[in-house]
Amino acid sequence: MAYHYVVTAHKPTAVTSCVTGNFTSPSDLNLIVAKNTRLEIYLVTPEGLRPIKEVGLYGKVAVMKLFRPQYEKKDLLFIVTMRYNAMILECISDGDNLDIITKAHGNVADRIGKPSETGILAVIDPKARVIGLRLYDGLFKIIPLDKDNYELKASNFRMDELQVHDVEFLHGCANPTLILIHQDVNGRHVKTHEISLREKEFVKIPWRQDNVETEASIIIPVPSPLGGAIIIGQESILYHDGITSVVVAPAVIKQSTIICYAKVDPGGLRYLLGDMAGHLFMLFIETETRGDGNEVVKDLKVEMLGEIATPECITYLDNGVLFIGSRIGDSQLVKLNTKADENGSYVTVMESFTNLAPILDMCVVDLERQGQGQLVTCSGAFKEGSLRIIRSGIGIQDHASIDLPGIKGMWALQTATGSKLDNTLVLSFVGQTRVLSLNGEEVEETDIAGFASDQQTFYCGNVAHEQIIQITPISARLVSAQSKTLLAEWKPPTEKNISVVACNTSQIILSTGSALYYLEIHPNELILKGHTTLDVEVACLDISPIGEGATTSDLVAVGLWTDISARILRLPDLSEATKELLGGEIIPRSVLMACFEGHDYLLCALGDGSMFYFSLHKESGTLSDKKKVTLGTQPTVLRTFRSLSTTNVFACSDRPTVIYSSNHKLVFSNVNMKEVNHMCSLNAEAYPDSLALATDTSVTIGTIDEIQKLHIRTVPLQESARRITYQEQSKTFGVVTARVDIQDSTGLNPARQSASTMAQSVTVSSSVASLAISKSGSSSLLGSSLAPEYGQEVEVHNLLIVDQNTFEVLHSHQLMQQEYAMSLISCQLGNDPNAYFIVGTANVNPEESEPKQGRLLVFHWNDNKLTQVSEKEIKGACYSLAEFNGKLLASINSTVRLFEWTAEKELRLECSHFNNIIALFLKTKGDFILIGDLMRSMTLLQYKTMEGSFEEIARDYNPNWMTAIEILDDDVFLGAENSYNMFVCQKDSAATTDEERSQMHEVGQFHVGDMINVFRHGSLVMQNIGETSIPTRGCVLFGTVGGAIGLVTQVPQDFYEFLLDLQNKLSSVIKSVGKIEHSFWRAFHTDIKTENSEGFIDGDLIESFLDLSQDKMKEVADGLGMTVEYLVKMVEDLTRIH
Amino acid sequence: MSVAQFLEGLPSYNESNFTKFHVDTNSRSPLRRPSVYIPTKDYPSEQIIVTEKTSILLKYMQQHWDKKVNSSVKKRDIPSQSEEPARKRPRTEYSRDNSRDNGRTQNDF
Repeated sequence: MAYHYVVTAHKPTAVTSCVTGNFTSPSDLNLIVAKNTRLEIYLVTPEGLRPIKEVGLYGKVAVMKLFRPQYEKKDLLFIVTMRYNAMILECISDGDNLDIITKAHGNVADRIGKPSETGILAVIDPKARVIGLRLYDGLFKIIPLDKDNYELKASNFRMDELQVHDVEFLHGCANPTLILIHQDVNGRHVKTHEISLREKEFVKIPWRQDNVETEASIIIPVPSPLGGAIIIGQESILYHDGITSVVVAPAVIKQSTIICYAKVDPGGLRYLLGDMAGHLFMLFIETETRGDGNEVVKDLKVEMLGEIATPECITYLDNGVLFIGSRIGDSQLVKLNTKADENGSYVTVMESFTNLAPILDMCVVDLERQGQGQLVTCSGAFKEGSLRIIRSGIGIQDHASIDLPGIKGMWALQTATGSKLDNTLVLSFVGQTRVLSLNGEEVEETDIAGFASDQQTFYCGNVAHEQIIQITPISARLVSAQSKTLLAEWKPPTEKNISVVACNTSQIILSTGSALYYLEIHPNELILKGHTTLDVEVACLDISPIGEGATTSDLVAVGLWTDISARILRLPDLSEATKELLGGEIIPRSVLMACFEGHDYLLCALGDGSMFYFSLHKESGTLSDKKKVTLGTQPTVLRTFRSLSTTNVFACSDRPTVIYSSNHKLVFSNVNMKEVNHMCSLNAEAYPDSLALATDTSVTIGTIDEIQKLHIRTVPLQESARRITYQEQSKTFGVVTARVDIQDSTGLNPARQSASTMAQSVTVSSSVASLAISKSGSSSLLGSSLAPEYGQEVEVHNLLIVDQNTFEVLHSHQLMQQEYAMSLISCQLGNDPNAYFIVGTANVNPEESEPKQGRLLVFHWNDNKLTQVSEKEIKGACYSLAEFNGKLLASINSTVRLFEWTAEKELRLECSHFNNIIALFLKTKGDFILIGDLMRSMTLLQYKTMEGSFEEIARDYNPNWMTAIEILDDDVFLGAENSYNMFVCQKDSAATTDEERSQMHEVGQFHVGDMINVFRHGSLVMQNIGETSIPTRGCVLFGTVGGAIGLVTQVPQDFYEFLLDLQNKLSSVIKSVGKIEHSFWRAFHTDIKTENSEGFIDGDLIESFLDLSQDKMKEVADGLGMTVEYLVKMVEDLTRIH
Repeated sequence: MSVAQFLEGLPSYNESNFTKFHVDTNSRSPLRRPSVYIPTKDYPSEQIIVTEKTSILLKYMQQHWDKKVNSSVKKRDIPSQSEEPARKRPRTEYSRDNSRDNGRTQNDF
């Protein structure tokens, strides 16, 4: 059996729904954003959106609505999940504490019924009398919102209209009245239904309007007193209230399709509309007063306001600020201005929220060859298309850089200034010290009279009594901060040079070999307060005061040569409090006492880039809980800095790392710089809250990003990125993109400038392909002979060559008209030393049920030129490509074919396999090939070298519609299917009969709740960091449609069983919002079956253990018969695999 | 009517909202992601949503049968209704979260 652990490394970011209202209290204005299974609650404040809470649900949000019952002072949240769990949530807050109460819940699924193709629609009556749900064709479900009944009885109404495109409740009706757009053979119609709650039927049709626009798709109910509704179509907008009917067809909306709207005024005269192309419009209802004094609608006006991210939902917040929720691009906070800017736009983007969704493809690369992968994804679509570079770590924003090689140390000082800002940077070199003064952004060299500039500085800093200390190998020099003159100097009593030193604002500890001296800093003098000689030489020292506001330390930390130990000494007598042998032969290079989140630690970094850390007990000076991590491969220097008012430690090495604490555990986050030798905090006028970082050759002044685990960089392409592959030889990425061109009077022209049109160089596949198209009967549709209709949008596919460092598009190669690039790999073939980009294409003809023709194109990128080396015509769409023992494996429609690379640089078919519906995915390992089929799950083939043929080894006979596959090991295979589940199949080579051997068994199944588009082997973190208590094996990353990144790793059986116990315990301790059972949520669920999850551990639930309160942790630990400490350590280790 | 007029007098619920917003070029604003809500306290639901199990066909037939019986009573005006044997009654029970049966039956007539 195979057991797996699955966890989300990056939560979904696609916004599927957003609402505004008073949720957390009657006076709070909240924005609530739904991202797949997660809700984010924000508060609208003068400073912008303030995050309040993130709420996880055991279900994917299908519909989210805020509503206010008449007896309530604030809004309630109604949610229906994709699996038909309905819930009504209320937020109760008391001060900082906030609770989400499930006021009502239940499953509203029917046992029979055809789920509607237009998805789940849910509407709430404006007076909050009933909730209406359209879940299945021909049925409408009503939940009466009786306050007094314990049971809210949902009942089905028969609805004549089968294809319903939108539904709403009308305002100002005595009985709840629905309005809907439905479609029949004659077109689309608008109809209203009055609901009788007593008879559980639609009782009458107040009015109807047949044959509205054929593409009418959105209903906007207009509030009282106007009432009625606005019907949005492709080209026209209709207002109707049963009596008055106003239609307009504004030219501005015709370009694209309106997909969402937001009401602006509570009275309902203005609405914002967003279309697929990312245009924001305002719709204004003009009214006039009739003779009877009633206002009626006179006209509708539509104006374009500007461009926004392609919206999925829009909501009006306050004072002209909107939230634009996007599923395929970054969501935005935008402001509406009454004056247009220079581009004629009335919209200003205030803030963007990173979104990876949808992740169509990705690759894991280790560009710096440091053992830590970074992920490059094809994200977004259309104008939001982009590459995203994701790596675990922290970013440094570079603000200034000075070329200065050979820096041995660096400190920031405040000299001759009354302010608290640093204005001087002291740099130490072998045999000299240089002083830079920072004047605004200017940096110039200066000197400090009291300093010894002909010596290397070991330490320098502002100290008590407005003095500065400089410690060199010869002496400790006390200098006035104002006059910069020498006030006092202390030299060791022996001839020996000072070798190691540590200092805080009032204390100095220094050593000459094995002798230790403790000095205190007083006005105009340094006083020796203690002296001792240790048995071995001192390698490193620390005297950092620990704890909030502390300025002196009672302890000294020492790292020693020879016996390789860390010791804690007491001050002032330098007596030993504790001694910890580190073991091994690598000497400690840097020790540091630091306090993180109220916990004191001793960190001790060694010469090989590893680091020990201990809990430090300040009173007793003892150490406990020894742990080890590997930070780099070179000697590491530890320095503290403050960021966002928390203490952080910067570990300078060949893999710079920031150490901080989160949830009372230490987190080690890589910094996106290649190497850092020294660093110091710098808070200067022109560089507030910055860091100065010294590398071998230069000093960089920069600011550090907000501390986060994954660092995401965006490379906008403005067209859809579909496939990506990395080519090491040419240090480039190959990217397949699709852009939209529009046929106009001059021919096909790009709808907008994008990566493929702005590349440094462009080539085009000849439309009259060298392979005569006449071979195929349908060929007349190929080539430019057939021009699309005027105004028609056409997808144009390209291969982009992108630089691995700058992410510039070096070259763009455009494919033929109607030729779609389906797959892309980079590989070497046969004995040919060149690395090629190979593109598999399909000629898409709308009249054919599946592509009948395509090409395999072999490109060589060399010397900034793209050459097409070979071209092979194939009889279908090449959905997937793989390198297979020096040959090219391709899945073409229902077949899998192997091509040899001949000496003439041509592809020659060697053998084929036919037993598939559509072979969408291929993965290979050794001689084995795993095929993912459109609907027939996974099949394993073996290539027989001798015979030169494929043999089908095993198959999963379950009907799974595959979206991604991966080989985990020789016998275990991972698949994801289109009902958001993943499963593991195992082949049984040891089985006795052929029949048993030919069947793969599903040994694991799990509901992910998001569609997985891609699996890739690789890891985002350094592998095997330190001593870990968790026996995980291998790591497969996955990317989803919702923009989440997750990982799957194998665990042994005993560990699985232990985690399962923990998971079960947690699922009862952690209550579910919406009262959906954890087991229900993770059960493998498709249209045809629901089976309990097995073989998988839900890592997201396991990790939430760390967010529990102490007493709840104890409850969980007691239930499992182990200590809280052990569990915390183990779960912490689990969090470090991503 | 110009766009500027369109955009005048946009609703304001609290005039100070977004007034102190400033674009943070260094993107060093505090963590954007809110803290995760982990509920451990069990609040009993005030209400549960139950869904009707009866199919709409049964419901329709039942309603018609009802009407027929009522109207036939009126038409024939026979007082001895009770002589008729007890008819099968449709089950119109409600299911709770798909739980099979909670033993509750309800007669609407």
